Amino acid sequence: MAATLTTKAPAPPRKLLASRRTRAGVLYALPVVVYLLVLFVYPIFSTLFLSLKNANGSFTLHWYADALTGVNLSVLFTTLRISAETALFSLVFGFILANAISRLKPLWAALAMLIVVVPHFISALVRTYGWIILLGDKGLVNETLTGLRVPGAPFQLLYNELGVVIGTTSMMLPYTVLLLYGVMRGVDRRLLAAAASMGAGRVTIFRRIYLPMVAPGLASAGLLSFILSLGYYITPALMGGPKQTMIATLINQQVTKENQWNGAAAQGVILLLLTLAGLLLVKLVSSLGASRRKRSAS
Amino acid sequence: MAEFGIAALSVTPVAGARTTATGKALSVVALRKTYGDVVAVDEASMEIAAGEFVTFLGASGSGKTTTLMMIAGFCEPDSGTITVGDRDVTKLAPQKRNLGFVFQQYLLFPHMSVSENVAFPLTLRGVSKDEIRRRVGETLEIAGLSGFGGRKPRELSGGQQQRVALCRALVYRPPVILMDEPLGALDKKLRDQLQVEIKAIQRELGLTVIYVTHDQEEALVMSDRIAVMRNGLIEQFDTPRELFERPRTPFVADFLGAANFLPGRIEQHTDAHTLVRIDSSGGLIKARRHQLPSGTQVKAAVQPGRLRACATDDGFCTGTVETATYVGTLVRAGVRIDGGDAPLLRLEVPAGRGPVAGERVGITTDPDDVNLFPTEQAG
Repeated sequence: MAATLTTKAPAPPRKLLASRRTRAGVLYALPVVVYLLVLFVYPIFSTLFLSLKNANGSFTLHWYADALTGVNLSVLFTTLRISAETALFSLVFGFILANAISRLKPLWAALAMLIVVVPHFISALVRTYGWIILLGDKGLVNETLTGLRVPGAPFQLLYNELGVVIGTTSMMLPYTVLLLYGVMRGVDRRLLAAAASMGAGRVTIFRRIYLPMVAPGLASAGLLSFILSLGYYITPALMGGPKQTMIATLINQQVTKENQWNGAAAQGVILLLLTLAGLLLVKLVSSLGASRRKRSAS
Repeated sequence: MAEFGIAALSVTPVAGARTTATGKALSVVALRKTYGDVVAVDEASMEIAAGEFVTFLGASGSGKTTTLMMIAGFCEPDSGTITVGDRDVTKLAPQKRNLGFVFQQYLLFPHMSVSENVAFPLTLRGVSKDEIRRRVGETLEIAGLSGFGGRKPRELSGGQQQRVALCRALVYRPPVILMDEPLGALDKKLRDQLQVEIKAIQRELGLTVIYVTHDQEEALVMSDRIAVMRNGLIEQFDTPRELFERPRTPFVADFLGAANFLPGRIEQHTDAHTLVRIDSSGGLIKARRHQLPSGTQVKAAVQPGRLRACATDDGFCTGTVETATYVGTLVRAGVRIDGGDAPLLRLEVPAGRGPVAGERVGITTDPDDVNLFPTEQAG
């Protein structure tokens, strides 16, 4: 494409692609554009078409109706609920961890970040099995709790929602910690001293200065872990019971066990739309907050 | 160092111009702080009256900022006491001291508008909404920021941001406002303008201000009293005029007045004067009457602006003008004194009557402008 354009060199000036720099820019962008078209745009549209096609090739909304009724709908709700819980817990723990790390001296902070991030280099499958070993009836956690004579021990920590949330939260934690740590490092600690000099106590400083300043980080970290959890497969499948079937598991079952590509495609599209809705929601909330602040200020 | 001279002096408030407010606003007794082996602040003591503008002046490492931080509560003294009004605040956390603080880096809260920033300390004090609105508006108006209330700090220039920070520190009328080089990040012109503005606001509202700077001119322009600090010690705590005209140590004479030092020996005392024989030229310089006995080795300190060129037989010494630089209203001259290898004598004389390079001149001065320091004390 670029080659044919370069042959039209004596084109009138001011035309798009006329300048050498623009032509070079197109050339540089070309590999990326091709890459995205082939590996991103085409699959998405083919999935979309697949989800709208009947067995005989005619248009139908049957697969969407199917995905949004009965067991499929409850799986969808389970997915949303578990993702929300995961987002919440990874936010809370991520906040505590990142906050502690951001107060450390740089060297110790770097070391702590390494400890948080390095486990992420290990395959999720291995980490999930690690959790299964730890959380089982005869696992380290329950053995310790029984040894301490904690009433009710051993607890059921696996193959239920608790197990899934523990697993997914631990998988999301590096993301939230990394994101929040970056935001927290950007907060000028002297601002907190300034607030103290005006008479603000620790709780007020946290609530009115620190929290609003890290809020954008909290929103993006929460959203990220929510979206990642929506499509999470291995951990919920291995650490959950039948009641914790998430949409990714369902899609997998439809494709591998029932060879039902159209239904899987519809669910995939729904998952994609949910993700987009989540993004939109956060954007809406943050812009709403900004406009409200603006109004209250004037 | 010598840029200020006459112009700055003329606007320097004299001792009598201190504000009418009375009473002690803050006192510091034997304040001491060490970092390892380094003594940052050594037994600093001072009393500051309400309505007074006091400056801690010194180079970096002189202990001025450490002293301020101890008063603010950001840094704990090893020993000594700090009293605000009648309240001992030495052991209190910063938020319990009820002081105002203006930082060099402004430190406005970026997520709040200008109004919200200024309102913040008031909301902490349970002031009613109407009252907050009224006082924020009033304070912003004083600082010339009316109409900026809805803006975010990042939408303001550095000078405007520092004005907001000033508003935020004075809106709740703390008994003392501390300022840590608040104009250090601004350019010269804006700095000059804000010096005058801050001074005007301070005088109008009768604020008690402790101001830290390393800029002598700034200190002279703004302060009622200046504490000149060096190596953790307060060298002299006095009005600008006293510091300038009656420096108590050679350091103060040099730091504030950029004085020329002429080594010599006290020859004799008359009723009103002390005569000193200058080592290099052998001439006699007349100084104010001084207690030191005859024969004491001294340094006679005279500021460049207080020396005059005259006929060769009239001065306390003679020399050749080696450099004469025209700097607007002044001519700065360097004079090589006859009969010695002393450093060039620096003169500042009004332009037009200035000496020319190569000219033979005598040097004279008023006895009142000559300060004597015993040589042992030289630092």
